[in-house]
Amino acid sequence: MLQDLKELRSDENDPLFDKTNMLKKEFPSDFRQIRYFTLLIVQSAPTEIKELNILEQQISEVIKNAVKHGNHCDINKKVTVWYSFSSTHAHIIVQDEGEGFQELEKWNDFNRKRLECLHNNDFIELSNYVSFKTKESDSQDGGNALFAALEYWNGGFVYNGKRNAVAMLKKYQQKFHGANRDGE
Amino acid sequence: MELKIRKNGDVYIIDVTGEMDLYNSYKLKELVVKMLEKNVKNFVINLEQVDYIDSSGIGALIYICSTIKKMNLKLAISNIHGSVKKVIELTKLMGYFPIANSVEEALLMVKE
Repeated sequence: MLQDLKELRSDENDPLFDKTNMLKKEFPSDFRQIRYFTLLIVQSAPTEIKELNILEQQISEVIKNAVKHGNHCDINKKVTVWYSFSSTHAHIIVQDEGEGFQELEKWNDFNRKRLECLHNNDFIELSNYVSFKTKESDSQDGGNALFAALEYWNGGFVYNGKRNAVAMLKKYQQKFHGANRDGE
Repeated sequence: MELKIRKNGDVYIIDVTGEMDLYNSYKLKELVVKMLEKNVKNFVINLEQVDYIDSSGIGALIYICSTIKKMNLKLAISNIHGSVKKVIELTKLMGYFPIANSVEEALLMVKE
């Protein structure tokens, strides 16, 4: 399980794509409204899992990728978000109408090198691996969202077979009479 | 997002207020580029009043950091806290960015 977190996977049949008991919202691919759409999703999450605004920020990155890189900001293309929240979990699926994340394997190679630099405390070489750019990227793209996503979504972060949908799960510890218990 | 500049000796302190996100992070980049064109050599970016950062904001900091490094100039980033600190930790860039706990510490780092 720990191994999975260090690379992006593509698995059509991953249980994280099970949409049972999830709510759904659809959005047009309007770049200017990405943060607004994110808030519409996150507003129904319990306060204790929002972690200031980290949950919102992490969800906004995935929606941004769908709008910008998946659907190329085409207002006629939809982004669909399935979501489910409780005090112990956040489960999100984001799907776009694009051709899918073509460079997923290249990203994994890049990330492996990045992690090696970090492991070796080689900050000079690391500077070559802090930002993943493709020919689709522009100067406003940070190229670093997925590095954080793999760390944040501790219950899994997986693409579908076509790579135009991504499912993710964050599990939060439940505080119960002072003792901690892991959420489902 | 608001950007204010003040000086301490020959160190320029940029006080950032608000959110550094996909809509406005480019402004910080542009400001630093302008300041570099005006031969500013010592920078402190103070994030005390910043309560939100996303990958575009991190990207702006990366760009600024690498440009300043390449030009052999000085930079420190001060007062990261809350979710800003968390995002930098998730991205594993705490060791990459020159981070200071306060503007005073940042000034010391830059004046070394």
